[in-house]
Amino acid sequence: MAFCKMVDAVYSAIPLGWLRDLLIRKHMESCPRCQGRLASRAEVKRLFVTPAEVGTTEDLWRRISARALAADGAARRQPAPAGAAWRWAAAAAAAAVIAVSGFWLLREVQRPGFETAAVRPADRFEIAYVNVGGAPAQTFVYQPQGSDTVFVWAARNP
Amino acid sequence: MEELEIVQGCLRGSQSSCREMVEAYGNLVMSMALNVVGNRQDAEDICQETFLQVFLHLDRFDQARSFKTWLLTIVYRRSLDMIKKKRRFAQFSARARFEPAVVERGGDPHPAAPDPLPSALLKVLSPRERTALCLWANEGYTAKDISEVLACSASTARVYLFNARRKIKSSLENDHGLLQNG
Repeated sequence: MAFCKMVDAVYSAIPLGWLRDLLIRKHMESCPRCQGRLASRAEVKRLFVTPAEVGTTEDLWRRISARALAADGAARRQPAPAGAAWRWAAAAAAAAVIAVSGFWLLREVQRPGFETAAVRPADRFEIAYVNVGGAPAQTFVYQPQGSDTVFVWAARNP
Repeated sequence: MEELEIVQGCLRGSQSSCREMVEAYGNLVMSMALNVVGNRQDAEDICQETFLQVFLHLDRFDQARSFKTWLLTIVYRRSLDMIKKKRRFAQFSARARFEPAVVERGGDPHPAAPDPLPSALLKVLSPRERTALCLWANEGYTAKDISEVLACSASTARVYLFNARRKIKSSLENDHGLLQNG
């Protein structure tokens, strides 16, 4: 017994919990004297309440079903999360605005006289003169075919 | 009805199967919760919450495994939650065990027998050790079965068991010595 107590003391000094537990377990499994220091199943069983001692569970089902019903009802009655209503309202308003403005644009586009040809380009583009650095500059004017865009490139005279 | 039949009935939404489950396992769940938390009121709460959780998540249960072990795992976890929440079960358990019952005037002269409670000696054990010991003593579980409930390795479960049995033996010897020496 003294040997076992000494072993126990030595093991207790080991800082690593898992190693200490392993060594103690190995020792106790193989040492008949230490086995005698363990409570038997019968001794332990007396300390616990057994299922047979608990008594009837008559109203347990009633309480559980009542709680289940209450939980179910609460889940059904649960209001939509805060802000959800606002989000739906904002989305509906945005959809209405898009629909109305789309309809209006469509009407405007289909009105007679809205064709691109109605906006007539200037017949002739003219530049009287171009000065660069106070002196007349070399000027190139370019207009791509079929386009209203005019490019003007001015460079200082050499 | 067999364990699996009850489970399948509950999965189909049969109320009678749910009731059967509560009747079949109610005492087991209650005794386990009572042994871990040490007071009846908390144990009843745990018992109800456990069954509600079981009905809610029964589809997650692997039918190849033992339903009883799965159920006891839920009881154990709910009990740990309760202990964490309250942190007072030890004092309450000791009071309930040793304080004499006060019968007011006009009260029942023959009060009903008090509800059984686990021994105060179990206070020396941690909730894990209590659970391991309870499963070993009451249900005849092996270290491997206990490890499934505690979510640890079998060797760790064995260590919990050894430590618990050693502590209890020592407490029993001290208790016996105190009784003998007055």
